Amino acid sequence: MSVRYLAKKLTTLVVTLYVTVSFNFLLFHVLPGSPIQLLARSGHYDPAARAQLVKLFGLNHSLFTQYFIYLKNMLHGDLGFSYVFRKPVTTVLGGAIGNTLLLVGTATLVTILVGVWLGVMAASRAHSLTDASITVTSLGLWSMPDFFTGMILIFICGVWTHILPISGLVTPGLVTGPWGHFVDVARHLVLPALTLTFVNAAEFSLISRNTLVDVMVEDYMLTARAKGLRRRTIVWRHALRNAMLPIVTATALYVGMILGGAIQVETVFSWPGMGLLIYNSVVQRDYPVLEGCFLLFAIAVIATNFISDLLYQVLDPRVRRT
Amino acid sequence: MEEHKVEEGAQFLTRRKFFALGAASAGAIGMAGLTDVTSASASAAVSTLRVGWTTPPDVMNPFTFTTTASNEILWLIYDTLLEYNLQLNPEPSLAAKSSMSADGKSFTYQLRSGVKWHDGKPFSANDVKYTFEIMAKHNLGQAAWSLADFDSVVIVNANKVTVNYKKPQAFDPALAIPIVPFHIWGAMTPSKILSYNNPNPVGTGPYKFKKWVSGQYVQVDRNANWWGKQPAAKSIIWTQFENSDVMVQSLASGQLDILTEVPPVLWNGLKGKANVKPVEMESFSFHHIGINVSKNPKSGGNPLLLDRTVRQALGYSLDRAQLVELALAGHGIPGSVQLPPSFGKWQEKIPSSEQINNNPGKAKKILDAAGYHVGSNGIRQDKHGKQLSFRLIAIATTDEDVLAGQMFVKSAEAVGIKLTLETLDGTTLGNIVYNNNPNWDIFIWGWDSGTPDPDYLLSVPLTDQIGNNNDVFYANPTYDALYNKQATTPNPAQRVPLVHDIQKLFYEDAAYLVMWYQSKLQAYRTDTWKGWVPTRGGMVYNFTRDNYLKITPR
Repeated sequence: MSVRYLAKKLTTLVVTLYVTVSFNFLLFHVLPGSPIQLLARSGHYDPAARAQLVKLFGLNHSLFTQYFIYLKNMLHGDLGFSYVFRKPVTTVLGGAIGNTLLLVGTATLVTILVGVWLGVMAASRAHSLTDASITVTSLGLWSMPDFFTGMILIFICGVWTHILPISGLVTPGLVTGPWGHFVDVARHLVLPALTLTFVNAAEFSLISRNTLVDVMVEDYMLTARAKGLRRRTIVWRHALRNAMLPIVTATALYVGMILGGAIQVETVFSWPGMGLLIYNSVVQRDYPVLEGCFLLFAIAVIATNFISDLLYQVLDPRVRRT
Repeated sequence: MEEHKVEEGAQFLTRRKFFALGAASAGAIGMAGLTDVTSASASAAVSTLRVGWTTPPDVMNPFTFTTTASNEILWLIYDTLLEYNLQLNPEPSLAAKSSMSADGKSFTYQLRSGVKWHDGKPFSANDVKYTFEIMAKHNLGQAAWSLADFDSVVIVNANKVTVNYKKPQAFDPALAIPIVPFHIWGAMTPSKILSYNNPNPVGTGPYKFKKWVSGQYVQVDRNANWWGKQPAAKSIIWTQFENSDVMVQSLASGQLDILTEVPPVLWNGLKGKANVKPVEMESFSFHHIGINVSKNPKSGGNPLLLDRTVRQALGYSLDRAQLVELALAGHGIPGSVQLPPSFGKWQEKIPSSEQINNNPGKAKKILDAAGYHVGSNGIRQDKHGKQLSFRLIAIATTDEDVLAGQMFVKSAEAVGIKLTLETLDGTTLGNIVYNNNPNWDIFIWGWDSGTPDPDYLLSVPLTDQIGNNNDVFYANPTYDALYNKQATTPNPAQRVPLVHDIQKLFYEDAAYLVMWYQSKLQAYRTDTWKGWVPTRGGMVYNFTRDNYLKITPR
């Protein structure tokens, strides 16, 4: 990997970020409707109080000035002040990001591991009953909406059998030590994470199955077998490595989306993550929070793409040469 | 062929491993189930009242909150001078006694002695003075509207204050103003107060703020030093749900004690469930069809709607009983005037024969008489050929409004008026309706009263509420004069007829076509707490906090 290549990629990264940030700002400020009017509807503010609010949120400056203030503050780590929560956006985002990383991060890890494992199982027995049942089952689960799968799990595990909590992140008001808290959160995590895994594992199992099936008929596979290598070694070390690129691409796309949360699952299980935060912020026109969210997504997607570009270099000598 | 056999063997092995794995994970979940039973029995000790809702609080700042949920919590943390009991009649609270001057302009409050703030500092008359003054002067807080005529607060002695108004007051603002501590807020500028999120509210109320896990729950704990009788619930926890189905299931399976609001279909489903009691009560809310009557030359509304006959014809076309049956699954009362029946004696009862309701024949007759004749396309037009064709907007996510809108389109069509329904999100609709140059014809939404006193709902169509609450841009000097008269008539016997007149006037002007007064649907568990008293407005989530204070463990 040349320094020039890295520099070029980094430049693209910075320019993309700047454009995204500016577009992000414009997008929310050219939208019709004033958030102050929204606050005033139920708040009975008189014009003087309204003027104070306008000043408080910096809406009295011209759009151009607001843009520069926005850029300057952002570089200082200040993403503004939430209209709804009356707290710094960084504080509001902080809580939601943690919760989303816990849920979607755990679910993604399990999804990828289970998905690839199922894909390998299916591919190494291509066109068998195992292959067919894995493919059909995962396709079936994939085509179910998240919220539906979630509701089914809620009925089975929460309503009929009471084995797992069906809502929230913690048991409200539970007083316990750190270990008790960990167990409590883990138990709340099971159903939403399971839902996401059920629905999304198919993506990875199908991608890895299909690429593997293609790789398995290559000549070097025959060579490996002729050398007397064990089947497991052939599949996991020789075939999977060559089938890795599409999986890395899918993973990069997927990881970039983690921060976006999982709005349907977060809604069904009342999990206060990024998906819910964005939805509620849209409904309440909480511009600063939305801007903060979209900035984070931009950074996450751009960064994971950057990393996956670098990973390609490591994984595929052909990319290195070009 | 050899290869095929190997595959068979491997497949078998994998399948067995797969089963083993399945058994292991089932075991893990089973163990988790075991811990669930223990933790549930430990945490569900009946000292905590567990409330479920889907409406999250916004801030815990008594000057800036806008949600009913924040109100519900703050009203247990802060005290008002007077409060509403379970019959929604005023009774003493932080003021042990109160009296009104003969002219109705001054109210004197005898404060309780020995009261302490949650942080241990003593409460005094100075706190009352500060609260009234800052709210009135800077228009802060939900109850600021009630202080429009505020004049001054005089400290008579350490335990006695007099609040003076410029005009007689029919509604005593002491029922709506939460008293805040001067030692915490006094040093803040108004803009600091507006931006302050008050992370640890300190009041004098029966419950102390414990914690708020954002997006999850809010907990308050009993205040052992409260001046009143200690409530039975050691803690109250309001848990936030994003999904009503899951919330209702949590009540049915015993994880909650009461729900603040239950959607009609789910409420019906709770009937007959073990240990759960669904309750239907009158509310202080209505949904209406609002008609743009703005006389502003920049208004984009259709000028034909300025003709009262057209508005009344729209009212006659509607069958409100059918609306309640279909849109609310029967959980409501057909609408007429702007005060719901929960206001009792204050509501003007219009005899059904005189109601502007379900009479398409009359609608056609008055339109014919006013010269709106049916054109070749079935739509009526005035003598200049302008068609009675209007835009109708409703909130897409409020199912009952959308359904009502669809029925309204049909019923208006039957009398020769064309309506084009468009649905929008609530925020967008609000921004369109409250535009200073309103460019819309007809909308659908609703109002909740801010108090059990009629004043709030009557104030909505005032001329000086244009740009604030007045959603139809109604401007009528007769209405304004009548309003001011009733608002400054403290004697209820004299005030009632005035309140009736004003409703009748507004009803006949038909800028609002009130569709229904929806019921308050709540549900509680019968095996945890007892003593819930159904009240108009709701057992909880209402103007009275008494149910929280008076329930006892079963």
